[in-house]
Amino acid sequence: MSGAYYWRRLGYALITLFVIMTLNFIIFRIMPGDPVSLVLSPEFTPEVRQMLREMYGLDQPLWTQYLLYMKNTLAFDFGRSFVTRQPVLRELLARLPNTLMLLGTAFVLNVVVGVVLGIKMATRQGSRLETGVTGVSLFLNAMPSFFVGLLLLLTFGYYWPIFPIRGTMSVPPPTEFWPIIFDRIHHMILPVTAVSLSGYGSWYLYTRNNVIGALGQDYVLTARAKGLTQREVLYRHAFRSVLPPIVTLVFLSLPGLITGAVITESIFSLYGVGRYLVDATLQQDYPVVQGCFFVIALAVLACNLLADLVYGLVDPRIRLR
Amino acid sequence: MNNPQTSTTGASQAVSVTPAASAVAVKAKPRRRGALREIWAEYRRSPQGMLGLFIFMVFLFLGLAAPWLTPYDPLQDQFLAERMARPGWMSYFPAYRNAPVTVDRFLLRNWEVTTADNVEITWGERQDEPVMLVRTTGPGPARLVLESTFDYHSSSPDTFFIQIPYAFVGEGGATGQMVFRFVTADGRSYDMWTSRTFRNEVRWTTQRVDSRDMQLKMRLGFRPLANLAADLINAQGEYRLILELTANAGETGTALFTLGESRFRIPGQLHGLLGADHLGADLWSQFVYGTRTSLMIGFVVALIAVVVGTLVGIVSGYVGRWVDELLMRIVDVLISIPFLPILIVFVAVLGKSIWNLIILIALFSWMSVARLVRSQTLTLRERAFVEAARAAGASSGYIMRTHILPNVLGLVFASLVLQVPGAIVSEATLSFLGFGDPRVPTWGRMLQNAKSFGAFGELAWWWILPPGLALTILAMAFVFMGNTIDDILNRRNREE
Repeated sequence: MSGAYYWRRLGYALITLFVIMTLNFIIFRIMPGDPVSLVLSPEFTPEVRQMLREMYGLDQPLWTQYLLYMKNTLAFDFGRSFVTRQPVLRELLARLPNTLMLLGTAFVLNVVVGVVLGIKMATRQGSRLETGVTGVSLFLNAMPSFFVGLLLLLTFGYYWPIFPIRGTMSVPPPTEFWPIIFDRIHHMILPVTAVSLSGYGSWYLYTRNNVIGALGQDYVLTARAKGLTQREVLYRHAFRSVLPPIVTLVFLSLPGLITGAVITESIFSLYGVGRYLVDATLQQDYPVVQGCFFVIALAVLACNLLADLVYGLVDPRIRLR
Repeated sequence: MNNPQTSTTGASQAVSVTPAASAVAVKAKPRRRGALREIWAEYRRSPQGMLGLFIFMVFLFLGLAAPWLTPYDPLQDQFLAERMARPGWMSYFPAYRNAPVTVDRFLLRNWEVTTADNVEITWGERQDEPVMLVRTTGPGPARLVLESTFDYHSSSPDTFFIQIPYAFVGEGGATGQMVFRFVTADGRSYDMWTSRTFRNEVRWTTQRVDSRDMQLKMRLGFRPLANLAADLINAQGEYRLILELTANAGETGTALFTLGESRFRIPGQLHGLLGADHLGADLWSQFVYGTRTSLMIGFVVALIAVVVGTLVGIVSGYVGRWVDELLMRIVDVLISIPFLPILIVFVAVLGKSIWNLIILIALFSWMSVARLVRSQTLTLRERAFVEAARAAGASSGYIMRTHILPNVLGLVFASLVLQVPGAIVSEATLSFLGFGDPRVPTWGRMLQNAKSFGAFGELAWWWILPPGLALTILAMAFVFMGNTIDDILNRRNREE
């Protein structure tokens, strides 16, 4: 019974993946001009060109190309960058850790700050503190994430030059272990803050609203009547019932988070996948664009699937529907 | 809209019903017109909603009135001020009290005529721009002196520029000459430009005078490396600009000067309302024209998204079965495609034009509306009046049009308002990353320029803050309005 839910979710995810891959193929073929020139930089030597031509089957009909493209993409083989002439996968793998670190840290911060603040403020609804926190959160939530980054850069990068304004590490980088770690963290603080500031708001508002709703329910009154402490009422009863909708927020917040990575990495010139996508697009480095887009889409899909599965675990009603 | 007159023939009835189906439905239920008034009455009581509406009105005014709020073209007019000039009102701060402020005089109708001998002034048009026509009225010498004054209270500037567009036609041996004279506050007088003597005809040209011109400096008796602007404008007080036109019509001829809008310009370190960018372009005009673009993009995108979303939602919800399943799967797939990356890729492939941006953003933002409308339609489908219509033999299309649509319109309107800020911010983000239309001034582009051309190194907050804060405030205003409408509709639905 419950297995069907998971299988269906997995099925949808695979269909979406297929659609994204097809889109990724079509986009670069509807472009005006010769599709061969999209994959083959004119600067390649004839031998390399011939090798790539055979590899992508560019001398073959579109249908064969499509199948070949699917095969290559599933093997994470996106070809070679026009600019660096390195395999795209190698370039991506070199950048992936930075992006994951940025997003992972920011995500954890978002959830912790947003949810904890949301619960705390729900109990003080109407107080001056709560009004202030909610107002600031609304404001930060409405602020475009790139502007949050720009403001941080202006304030803490230029006006008070406390933090580095660009890059993931100093040039030249330190050589010992601890200095390396500190140097990395020093470079990460502003970007992580930028992503968190523009992302925690939705978590905060969502949690706050849901907890406020739950606190008005009869079972909370019952719990209070039993003589439970405020803490127990809050975390054992009210918060537990709002857990499922909060889990869905993982799903809702991911696109924003990914967008935040693309923007923040561009603003702070981080060596990550998001900035790679923007730079490659501006340089018309199409194999890289395709590769970056696929990796990002895959990540979003995987997280969505995960959120769906966890949702099934948290809220049994969903599984049995 | 028009009065629901009694129909005379079947044909005219069919014509009048089809295009105004919803209007007729509104007419049919008198309750609904009261509903709008009630909603407005309730909306007016919400401070949040009214604040949002007020902010929106302010921006709407800025956007609509842009051409009247600034004399400059946001993209073409450059070197109006020094590089990254600060806003003009900063002269109220002690640190900038004496910084040179931009003086930019447009001189045509505001020339003051001090001497007019034997000439007649009329007005005409040349390429849609007004021009002054100066014609001799009789034989012999003629003279016209035009004058304009400006007050200068700052420290000496580095440069100034003069431009005088003109043409001359002399018939019957008439000749003419023009002189541009600059009189300083302490009474020194300099001929900045003396034309040759015109005979016959001089085609439309624009004479430009640059204070850095070495020949000019030497002619006026300064050293070639002297700072002419600082030497001329070295005291506070009233300066006079004089344009003198002299002609000699001879025995029987006539002379005709055509004078366009002359300009006298001192690029200052303080400029306008919002200062200047790295090329000395006016940031205020970029800002107001950006307001215009942002609102336009926001509304067009929201409109497309809402129309598509409503259509899909109603069909999906009412028809059900495999249509519903298919449409909702499409929605699921589109929603889980990362928004910004796909837009970047698409814009890169299709080209950076404003309409590409609009259509692409709309293409990826209708799904939430479709979901909302679908769930509303699902509940409406079970209501008695829909069942009654079905029992009476109404077709699905008719029911969707006349029964479902009017009842989801409130929801649709709320989502329209809520879609606008997302669209505005998406466009700004794309422009900021360098994927905007280079021919259109937008807030995102201002910020991109600020980032690329050193506004941060110079701490040029007057360049960075206005577009970013405007984006934030406008987005908040729309969220306030949308939430207020949403709340009111929810309350009404619960009461029903």
